[in-house]
Amino acid sequence: MDDCVFCKIVQGSLPSRRVYEDETVVAFHDVNPVGPIHVLIVPRTHFPTMNDLAEDDKILSHMGKAARNIARDLGIDRDGYRFYVNVGRGGGQVVFHLHAHLIAGRSLGMALIKIAVGFAIVSRKLLALLGLADRRM
Amino acid sequence: MGDFKDNCVFCEIIRGTTPADKVYEDDLVVAFWDAKPVRPIHILIVPREHIPTLNDVGEGSAILSHIGKIATVIAHRFGVRDSGYRFFINVNAGGGQVVFHLHAHVIAYQPDRPA
Repeated sequence: MDDCVFCKIVQGSLPSRRVYEDETVVAFHDVNPVGPIHVLIVPRTHFPTMNDLAEDDKILSHMGKAARNIARDLGIDRDGYRFYVNVGRGGGQVVFHLHAHLIAGRSLGMALIKIAVGFAIVSRKLLALLGLADRRM
Repeated sequence: MGDFKDNCVFCEIIRGTTPADKVYEDDLVVAFWDAKPVRPIHILIVPREHIPTLNDVGEGSAILSHIGKIATVIAHRFGVRDSGYRFFINVNAGGGQVVFHLHAHVIAYQPDRPA
């Protein structure tokens, strides 16, 4: 579509930081990320919203597969990520070319827990190394 | 439909051994109200097959497209198909997933719940 920013990105007439593409979809970093990782997965074909997909269309499954591949490539598939599609204005959709958001970022809480666990392990090893482990109170 | 997993609350809902306010079901998925809705409309769409996360969906599987289609059916039924809704899947603990049986959330503000 002429006035569609995502069609222009798909065609290459607007720049984007692409992270993945295949014959069906293109994925690129959101220009206004809401998290450390915020990628948009966009079908090459212009569908305004998820409501406009044909009954037997398989594009959403393909977008999900692309999300899995991107998450794995970015190393966030195990920690986790969110995959979501906003539908219509009331659903928060801004660009009316179907797209899925892939959002991830290590939460501060999880980071602190991992640091604490890491510190405890290192401390124990250090104490054991110094032969102090058994003499502690 | 024999792909149930013990101790999975969604498998129990699908089997009917744990109650849920079901709104839709077919051969592939079951949809029901979230027990703790975060919006006036908050429906979960769950495949009958126990797939832990989106990462575990088979390479050639079309289940996500079916889940998406049912989301539009449910949105239509609750009168929010055109006004708008959010469709999302949390993947693994860091993505906010709590129950490890693949599920999509459909949430919307408009409280147009049929009687």
